[in-house]
Amino acid sequence: MVSENSVAIVMRTYERPIMLARALASVCQQTYKNWTLTVVNNGGDPSRVDDVVNIARLGWPQAVIDVVHLRDRVGMEEASNVALSQSHTDFFAIHDDDDSWKPTFLEKTVRAMQEQPDAVAVVCGVTRIHELARGKTLRPQRAEAFYLDSHHLTFDGMIGNNTFPPIAALFRRSLLDNIGMFDASLPVLGDWEFNLRALTQGQFFYLPERLANYHTRTPDSDVVAENSITVGQDRHRVVKERLIERWHSERTPDGRNKGEVARTAYEMFEKYESERVARRLQPAESFVMRQKRRIVYAAQHPRVGMRAVVRRVRQQVRK
Amino acid sequence: MLYSATELLNKHPHIELVTFDFFDTLITRTVSQPTHVFAEVEHQLVSSFGERWKGFSYKRVRAEQRARAVAAQDDSYRDVTFDEILNVLSTDMDLSVAEIELAAQHEMATEIALVKAVPFGRDVLDEVQRRGMAVMIVSDNYMPARHLVNMAHAAGLTNIEVSHVMVSCEHGGMKHNGRLWREVLEYSGVPAKKILHIGDDRNADVEQPSRLGIATYRDPRMRASHRFPENTHPSVLPLSRLEAWLRDDMYASEWETSRALGAGPIALLVASQIADVCDVIGERDVRGVYFAARDGWLAHQVWDNTLSASISIPAHYLAFSRSIFGRASIAEVNDHVLDRFVGQNEQLTPRQLGNRFGCELDAPDGVDVVLQADQLRELLVVNERVVVEASRALRGRVIGYLRSIGITSPGHHVVVDLGWTGATLADLSDIVREASNGEATVEGRFLGLYWDATPHRTRLAMRGYAVDDLDATENNLRLLGVIRFFETLMTAPHGSVTDFADADGNFTPLFARSDIETAQYSAVIGMVGEAAIESASAIVRGDHPASVTLDELTREVAWATMMQVGQTPRKDEVAFMSRLRHVASVDHQDDGIPLIARAPRSSSTLPYSRTQVLFRDLMNQYWPQGTIRAWEREKKTSVLADNIMRYWPIMKHRWIEVDE
Repeated sequence: MVSENSVAIVMRTYERPIMLARALASVCQQTYKNWTLTVVNNGGDPSRVDDVVNIARLGWPQAVIDVVHLRDRVGMEEASNVALSQSHTDFFAIHDDDDSWKPTFLEKTVRAMQEQPDAVAVVCGVTRIHELARGKTLRPQRAEAFYLDSHHLTFDGMIGNNTFPPIAALFRRSLLDNIGMFDASLPVLGDWEFNLRALTQGQFFYLPERLANYHTRTPDSDVVAENSITVGQDRHRVVKERLIERWHSERTPDGRNKGEVARTAYEMFEKYESERVARRLQPAESFVMRQKRRIVYAAQHPRVGMRAVVRRVRQQVRK
Repeated sequence: MLYSATELLNKHPHIELVTFDFFDTLITRTVSQPTHVFAEVEHQLVSSFGERWKGFSYKRVRAEQRARAVAAQDDSYRDVTFDEILNVLSTDMDLSVAEIELAAQHEMATEIALVKAVPFGRDVLDEVQRRGMAVMIVSDNYMPARHLVNMAHAAGLTNIEVSHVMVSCEHGGMKHNGRLWREVLEYSGVPAKKILHIGDDRNADVEQPSRLGIATYRDPRMRASHRFPENTHPSVLPLSRLEAWLRDDMYASEWETSRALGAGPIALLVASQIADVCDVIGERDVRGVYFAARDGWLAHQVWDNTLSASISIPAHYLAFSRSIFGRASIAEVNDHVLDRFVGQNEQLTPRQLGNRFGCELDAPDGVDVVLQADQLRELLVVNERVVVEASRALRGRVIGYLRSIGITSPGHHVVVDLGWTGATLADLSDIVREASNGEATVEGRFLGLYWDATPHRTRLAMRGYAVDDLDATENNLRLLGVIRFFETLMTAPHGSVTDFADADGNFTPLFARSDIETAQYSAVIGMVGEAAIESASAIVRGDHPASVTLDELTREVAWATMMQVGQTPRKDEVAFMSRLRHVASVDHQDDGIPLIARAPRSSSTLPYSRTQVLFRDLMNQYWPQGTIRAWEREKKTSVLADNIMRYWPIMKHRWIEVDE
């Protein structure tokens, strides 16, 4: 029996028990309780996954957590499809085993879904957490706002690049009946390809509150902890090329060639990215040059300069 | 020196006019500081009109600051009006005209609902009026005089009229800059030497009027409970009410920081531990509840005082320590054991080192010769067999003790601890599972957890009540900063557990004796504990004079309480804590480390690289927030404190998170 506004959560995992334990806590702590979680052990040691899940069940006895052990490791999207094909809920979410939600993620995204009947997905604001994974420790090094706005959730905003991580989204389950499952043939970027198909069915509603944490490992972390985006950048490029090729035979919702639109948007994105990197790599202005510039400015704007001097003197006096 | 109303007026026989400051002199509120009135308003608005109003209280404070900044551009002497503040607020919160009106009405109504008279102010006012002297209220405030009169009437000061009130927003000048005082002289027509002013602010109520020759008297008692004004949110209200109650309760006597800490924040946190246990036993079948030594001692006392009669689940005090589980799990002397039991630069005798393992070590040069850390480590390797045997024997005694308190009985057992990584409880869980063949399970309930708790989630079911490893990185760091503060105050009258008696001795726990901890406990910490037990028990029973109840103690309230005292301690709290030391060595035999660090010499010119090292030391060994607040107040060290807050903004006073 499936109740109204229920959520199916899919969590794929492979040999990362500590991250899995954190991800389970992230789901179990949700203030919204109408969910079922399916952990898909993608070919890893079953007993380790069972142990961690049993500990989580001990802490949250009301939690409904199912475990599917896949004997062999399959692609991420195929693993998701295994769990989603068995779900009969109103909504679904993909919770990667290395990410986390704030406790009100489901409460607020489900409410937004109810308030936005035309939306096929709700995507919230994201905090990116750079963490160092060494041995058995997992320590955040810094956190930053992940850049996202409502334009990035439109077809044009998303066609050039995947704009948000799966942890930020809640989807309507009915999408799967209309557009099919995730493309199991894609080793990466399956979520991007799915999102673009989903956008043909309705809009993605943007909830700016940062309710999702997208965790990535710093370069000096242990290899086993790394995530697919930071490690497999080359693979992402290859798959992206493959998808763009495929889309040349498809049309966008407004009738343009999907492949060409994607290619143009992708090239613009790459250009923007390279400019951004170049800007970041520009050497900082030297101390002498900075002072020289300030003196020239003060000479050109004597009132501003005088005010700055007075302010500095006041600060010193106060101290 | 504080006078009675009669004494004060008798000291000034030639006075014709007595002027009063209004807020915190004539009237106060049932919250601990003025900005918490906005928290109460936010609470009401959110309850009645929804989440639209979340963040109101902080934005209200910021709106006032911004309105003042805008007003100062035209005339830096004048004060802002309530309407100007509301204008800024309407922009910041995107409020409609009707919503602004709603907020204004709620704010004024709340001010009146929370108001109460200050006893000394009321006594002086009564005496002044009895003697037939003239009265005037002189206030720096944005509210109109009419509203101040309404507040005075609500507080029972019914003889106050609008003509008695001079408020800065209506007279183009403030007490703080002296202009309002000139207005007072002009308006009253009374010469300065015939006026006595009573207030609480050093500048506005003493220095400025004194310059004009007005006699002054300052009574700052109502300010004793003030903290950083921007930290205002509905979650601070239970602590705010407790601190307001303490402020009023200690009004006629000396301010006791030990009582203020104990009956205020510590009591609220102990009651939160009880609230957490009540939550878990409401969710599931629980075989036993255990309050872990020593952090759970206060909560165990409160449980015994209040709920043990009405809840049939047995509750015990669980004596264990980090070191004892470590010692009871040594299968070989490896690097991990060496690092854990011999400090980096430690110097000990073989006898002292042997005591850590509960055995005698064979030392070629005798057991009372002091050895360096490297030599001590070598000695342990040579004595591996003795150490492992002692560990095995200790494990037997540990299991014997655990059986004696019932935690190995089949079923689910809840262990309450302060925090912070769950490592020790995860070790306990492993031992319990082994001793019960998996029939007994353990769940850890902590007040706070930070990121190093994550790996232990694979071994132990655990929750952090106020904060946990899944919370924001900034809050994890803030928690790391306050760990030593709470460990020092929330403790037991006995030392750390070092061993258990054998079967003949019923596996009784044996405690370490640390002179420094014993002295601290009897001098100050015991008083904090007593006050905490009494106040927390009243909260749990539901008869606390501050009307704080168990139902209000949510996760947000517990976190707000930790931050209010841990992140923004008052001056008296920093001075109080500067007397205390935190003892954390394996055997609790050393003198510990003071909670407040001493600033390095030439602190104002410390380069960034050295400031980084200093900050790391503060986080690892001291109470960094308390230390920074102490440094901030000293002229010599204020630059260093400013620099630390600039480089690590999480150390700033504001801990509430608001999207601006």
